[in-house]
Amino acid sequence: MFVEFSSVLRATMLGVQLGMTLALVAAGLTLIFGMLDVINFAHGSLYMMGAYLGVTVSAQFGSFWLALLIAPLAVGVIGAVIEVFGLRALYGRNPLYHILLTFGLAVMIQGLVVEIWGGQSLRIEAPASLAGTVQIGPVEYPVYWLFVLAVSTLLIAAVWLMIDRSDLGILMRASAHDTEMVDALGIDVSKVFTGVFVFGAVLAGVAGVLLGASRSVNPGMGFGVIIETFVIVVIGGLGSFKGAVYAALAVGLVTAYGALIAPSVTDIFLFTMMAVVLMIRPNGLFGATEAA
Amino acid sequence: MSHDSGTSTGSRGSTNRSASTTSRRRFLVSGAAAGATALAGCAGGGGSDTLTVGHVLPTSGTYALLGESIMNGFDLYLEQNDGQLGGYEVETVQRDTAGETDTGVTITNEFLVQEGVDALVGPVSSAVAIAMMQTVQQESSAIWLNANAGDYRVTQDGCMDLHFRTSFNDWQTSAPLAQWVYENVADNVVLSYADYAFGQNSKNFFQEAFEEAGGEVVDEVAAPLGTDDYSPFLGDIESSGADAAFSFFAGSDAVNYISQFSDFGLDDELTQTGSGFLLSEDTLPAQGEAALGKYSLLHYTATKETDRNQTFVSNYSEEHDRQPNVYACQGYDSAQALDIAASNADSTDASDLASALSGAELDSPRGEFSFDPDTNEPLQSMDVREVVQGDDGVENEVVATIDDIELPDWGCSL
Repeated sequence: MFVEFSSVLRATMLGVQLGMTLALVAAGLTLIFGMLDVINFAHGSLYMMGAYLGVTVSAQFGSFWLALLIAPLAVGVIGAVIEVFGLRALYGRNPLYHILLTFGLAVMIQGLVVEIWGGQSLRIEAPASLAGTVQIGPVEYPVYWLFVLAVSTLLIAAVWLMIDRSDLGILMRASAHDTEMVDALGIDVSKVFTGVFVFGAVLAGVAGVLLGASRSVNPGMGFGVIIETFVIVVIGGLGSFKGAVYAALAVGLVTAYGALIAPSVTDIFLFTMMAVVLMIRPNGLFGATEAA
Repeated sequence: MSHDSGTSTGSRGSTNRSASTTSRRRFLVSGAAAGATALAGCAGGGGSDTLTVGHVLPTSGTYALLGESIMNGFDLYLEQNDGQLGGYEVETVQRDTAGETDTGVTITNEFLVQEGVDALVGPVSSAVAIAMMQTVQQESSAIWLNANAGDYRVTQDGCMDLHFRTSFNDWQTSAPLAQWVYENVADNVVLSYADYAFGQNSKNFFQEAFEEAGGEVVDEVAAPLGTDDYSPFLGDIESSGADAAFSFFAGSDAVNYISQFSDFGLDDELTQTGSGFLLSEDTLPAQGEAALGKYSLLHYTATKETDRNQTFVSNYSEEHDRQPNVYACQGYDSAQALDIAASNADSTDASDLASALSGAELDSPRGEFSFDPDTNEPLQSMDVREVVQGDDGVENEVVATIDDIELPDWGCSL
């Protein structure tokens, strides 16, 4: 099938944007696994809470920017509550407990969302300053979508630098690598754990608000995104931030190009990709040996 | 609410328990009698003075809102009639299908065999309806008021005398718009739709009617159900060069499609039209200004200015703090249809109810309609609506009403 240049350009922009926003969600999922050895099924719900709180804040105060600030922080608080009062008691136990707890939380949060906001789709009002479209080559592209692309890319770059270069990043990696040693050196590891969980939650919340103004906000979105991000984290290697970013980009582009070429089999593409990676590198592209 | 024996639609948590409680009690009281009636196939054998209604509807999952709206509408009619339909005390049982095919069939079976219901109301999903057909036919012990599932194949493949659509079929929400679009909007269109049975049916029905009217279909674009980002598909729609688009999307798909259609600046190039679910009461608040100026076709519009509808809207809003949607109207009409059936038949026997309802007329909030005696499909007018700015956000305004629509019979002749 002949595909026009403008279509490819459009799909590429969508793919990168999808990749970067998915990376925001996947980053938390993989960091939490890397450090806490917990597979957090409720992570998609944190993304969803970001979107719903964004809807409420932006409707209440009429400001998208306030929503972008407040909603992720509120999601961070929810994350802290989940970590301190839920997961902390289960560290070091059979992973099945983690799965049961976080999956249960995901179901509860979904029920709560329907109870509070109802079952119908909602949407965050995008700021008027970002309305309209710009011409990029042959493609007319919404300004807001470019904004999402830029913000999520910058955030991912900042997180990357932080993990790679800062003392905090070193501490995070060290805690993941050898918890006991870090503990013995006089650092309160449980604070690091809470910090990482909250950080992951905030990133997911940001993604929720950003996408909540370009997509519908609905009670199914939490479970929807968790499947995509699991694929990403598995491909990238459980626990690896870099891996998650590369894999997210790959998944984003495959989804976007897939929609162009064969929309109905895009999901099959993704899972095939995951299967192939697992066959060749069972720990994922950047898995196991390279923590964080 | 005394009529529903504790299985209130509001309290989802207790539904399973109360359904099974009802089951035990009913088995003692009239279950055996209902069973005997079904076996003997004769009327009046039970002599029961209650009418048991089973709601085969989702209260969780994607279609939860639709299921709840149908029950709200049903309950409103029931309340207005002191919990009675056709002179019978009504008892309702309800179980959550979650929109799942298997669950829907299991519940149907349970309602028919264990609960001995006299009427089934639902389902929301056409996949569930098609899977239910065999059980309903086999048991032949309850009248089936199909309060939403619009797939024409229920009539084509089922053609059951017990099945009445108190809602619509997928031909009605697409084909009749074709002539109007051809005359008022454009003579060429691109078709875009959610790639599953209902979307494909709607697309095909519209295409057939549009070409018959003399129009040309330039291109078609299928997007998977549950697509989040329509950007690649919008590219295809734009490059088709068509002057108008006809689309079928519903729920959150409709929200994403319509908002992004507008975000990508396609409003300058094409006029968007579609089946009514594309721009409905449930999606408009989220679609907002992106929906302005777009046209759609549906059998019920909450803003329609008839006395009958205004009364319904104010009664419903009083109870639920929101405007009724099309599903609430369908639930309301299901209760109304059962009322007519039971009072004309003076019986709760399924085949009596069905023959009493065949060809009957309903004074619905959507406008008067009757059941086609050949197919039990609703013979109804369809409203063409345009999205306009209202006092309280955007809303649909009826710009034309298409009357006397001749329905296909899909080879069904009852």
